[in-house]
Amino acid sequence: MRIVKTVFLTALAALALAACGGGSTGASTNGSAQPGTLIYSPPLRSASVNATDFGASLGATAAGQQLLAVAGQPKCGIDFYYYQYQTVGGKNEQATASGVIMVPTGSTAGCSGALPILLYTHGTMTTRSYNLGNPSDTTNEAWTTADGGSEGPIISAMFAAQGYIVVASNYAGYDSSTLPYHPYLIGDQQAKDVINSLTAARTALKGGLSGASDNGKLFITGHSEGGYVTMATYRAMLAAKMPVTAVAPTSGAFDLEAFGDASVLGEVTLASPINFTFVIGAYQTVYGDIYASPTDVFSATYATGIGSLLPGAYTGSQLIGTGKVPQTALFSSTPTGLAPLDTLTAGITAASPLAALGFGNPYLINNSVRIAYAADAFANPDHGLHAVPPFGGFAPWSSFVSPPDFSVAAATPSYPLRAHLHQNDLRATAWAPATPVLMCAGHDDPEVPYAPDTGLFSQFWAPYLSTVPFGGVPNNLVTVLDVDPDTTASGIQQTIATLAATAFATALATHASPTQMAADVQAAVIGNFATHFNFTGPTPVPIDPQGLLVAALAGVAAQVVVTEYAAGVTSPATMGQEVLLGTSEFYHFPSTQVACDAAVRGFFAPLSGVAP
Amino acid sequence: MKTNNRFAQLRSVPMPLFQKTMAFGACLAALACTPAFAQNNNTVFVGLYSVYYHVNADDVSGPFTPPGLNADVNNVETLYLAYVRRLSTHFQAELTAGVPPQTDTIARGPAFVGSVPYNGQTIGHVSWFAPTALLHYVFFDDSARWRPYVGVGVNFTHFFDREINAAGQAVFGGPTRISLTNSVGPAVSLGLRYEPQEHWKVIASVNAARVKSDLTADTAGITRRTTVDFRPIAIVFAMGYSF
Repeated sequence: MRIVKTVFLTALAALALAACGGGSTGASTNGSAQPGTLIYSPPLRSASVNATDFGASLGATAAGQQLLAVAGQPKCGIDFYYYQYQTVGGKNEQATASGVIMVPTGSTAGCSGALPILLYTHGTMTTRSYNLGNPSDTTNEAWTTADGGSEGPIISAMFAAQGYIVVASNYAGYDSSTLPYHPYLIGDQQAKDVINSLTAARTALKGGLSGASDNGKLFITGHSEGGYVTMATYRAMLAAKMPVTAVAPTSGAFDLEAFGDASVLGEVTLASPINFTFVIGAYQTVYGDIYASPTDVFSATYATGIGSLLPGAYTGSQLIGTGKVPQTALFSSTPTGLAPLDTLTAGITAASPLAALGFGNPYLINNSVRIAYAADAFANPDHGLHAVPPFGGFAPWSSFVSPPDFSVAAATPSYPLRAHLHQNDLRATAWAPATPVLMCAGHDDPEVPYAPDTGLFSQFWAPYLSTVPFGGVPNNLVTVLDVDPDTTASGIQQTIATLAATAFATALATHASPTQMAADVQAAVIGNFATHFNFTGPTPVPIDPQGLLVAALAGVAAQVVVTEYAAGVTSPATMGQEVLLGTSEFYHFPSTQVACDAAVRGFFAPLSGVAP
Repeated sequence: MKTNNRFAQLRSVPMPLFQKTMAFGACLAALACTPAFAQNNNTVFVGLYSVYYHVNADDVSGPFTPPGLNADVNNVETLYLAYVRRLSTHFQAELTAGVPPQTDTIARGPAFVGSVPYNGQTIGHVSWFAPTALLHYVFFDDSARWRPYVGVGVNFTHFFDREINAAGQAVFGGPTRISLTNSVGPAVSLGLRYEPQEHWKVIASVNAARVKSDLTADTAGITRRTTVDFRPIAIVFAMGYSF
């Protein structure tokens, strides 16, 4: 029986081993709901790429090559860590959110050890699945190569591959977040969320991520919604006396009340239907007083389900393509009947074809909302609009003889939507910068208009403005950079459209190939802005951020010409129109972001030690 | 001790080598031999268990998982242990439980995931305890020294000691907890038994079983899954002692 016993003992031993199961993994889960808690430690390393492979992957696509031309070859490899953290929602409710920590790697100097952190705040995204933490998922809005590209490749190439530890939240309400909505443009919440994401990321870094550590220098930058969030985070961190080395909000709508007022009064911007749907949905969820029923605000065409549309399942083009929101018609083309409002609108839309696109049928927002909002805007004017053309020429702003400060928001807004825009307007209370700030934008941005945003905020911070042009050593804390070098009244998009149409006509006449056509269009555009390029090499190289914006828009124009020519367009006038639309669509993103990010890197370089 | 007595008995009847060879040849020719020994109902076997896996796994699915990631396991050899109970002239029951083998898990798919090597990397190992109960039909009668048999039964497989090594952690993205569901599936066997002497048996068999398990990997709260069909074919050479 000895052998039989041995068999059974072996079996028993096996079962005993089995009971031990998978054993310890060295990972831990923190169950605390305290905001800023890192939930899983260590976080998931979702991807790892060395500098050579990253450069090769970027070089494999046209968009990647353009990015490499601006960002330079990757100096460092990048380990991407996806992490989840505890945060709060817009009503201060407990929630989780997720983000990415991009850790530089490799043996090149400045790619390991103690490195500066660059906190990145992303722009308006319509898909809830948005996740900067998963670089291999090019179907994700954060990493897509469609629709002009995405932020993931830009920030990894511009910052992480050059030696910054990039920390970027996906924001509460996105990806795996437990919050069922995103507190869009709710400054306090967004700042808390970003600070919580930083706290958790620092916990993860302390635990050891790819050998890097935080050298204590903190930079914050973000574009569009992210520009607003960078500024809101900066305000909150200064208030909490948290150290910040420098910040660079780019193309942000800092002055929400003025932005809202300008839109309602007629200066409708290109992405307005999505932006307004988003902000109204968030404010209704958090404040609850925007409407009793969605049809109070939204036209019956779009009202169904609109409160929870964003962020959701659709990209911007899908939202428009499937008729969830109109492409541009924010408001009804039928006049409101409120005389001063209709007069203002008629004047603005007559002068601006872009603004005119904001009115149509079907439309998104009911006239009743415009009337009530405008009545409040007239009764409690945003003083800043006095400085925003063309409002200064109209009552009530024209009656301001000697207002104390044209940068200030309204004193007592009463209409709920406007009151909440005011509440989240970063001019609503006085505060001052304490470290270097770069505000970068383009003055013909068709999505986030320059004058009521960067323009007004520069006035808000007038005492801190540096008078040294970008590139020199600032003589004050705040540097403002307009990356758009065009000086015409009709804007750079029209300038490029005209140049492209002429180049296209010539190319047609000489039977040039599409490749030659594209080269001719680019050469014409670049030649028009020659002072921003170096022509000594085989191809013109931008020498400043303005040159980068021109190069990006010239690239868009060339692509439009080739695509439309292939689609049968032969009329130079039609081609010009297509180029106008194309350059308008890609002006705000990615063209301005890439140009501004290059400027941001230059601005941060003396403080971070990372090459410009 | 009874067992020792029987060993003593064996030693007491030495058989010249020539005779043994003759007997072997005769039995081979006839595949049936004169009943030389009394039937003992219990036999324990010890031998070599060579397991060849023909893994067919779904690509790993889940968040943060590039397409095309798959895995294989290396073949193993381990100690074969079995207990066989004679039920009648033609039927016997077998309970097999090899010493739990530990097999390496090999990554199959793209050469690299990002810059992390993937295809062909040993990313971890897993052990399993896989008892199999079989009912054999044994051909010929008890007098035959050579008796082929076929068996059908049930295999139960329990996985344990699952570990993802450093290369696996690099692929999965950190410390990873693996779980594999137990598998219960049919098993079949085709074997040949030779009984050279009373109490002693030698077997060679080919065995197959359906071993299919759902694998779940948890890395920092991220769950990835796949279903692995191991499709093992086991070849056994064993010696048994009957009592």
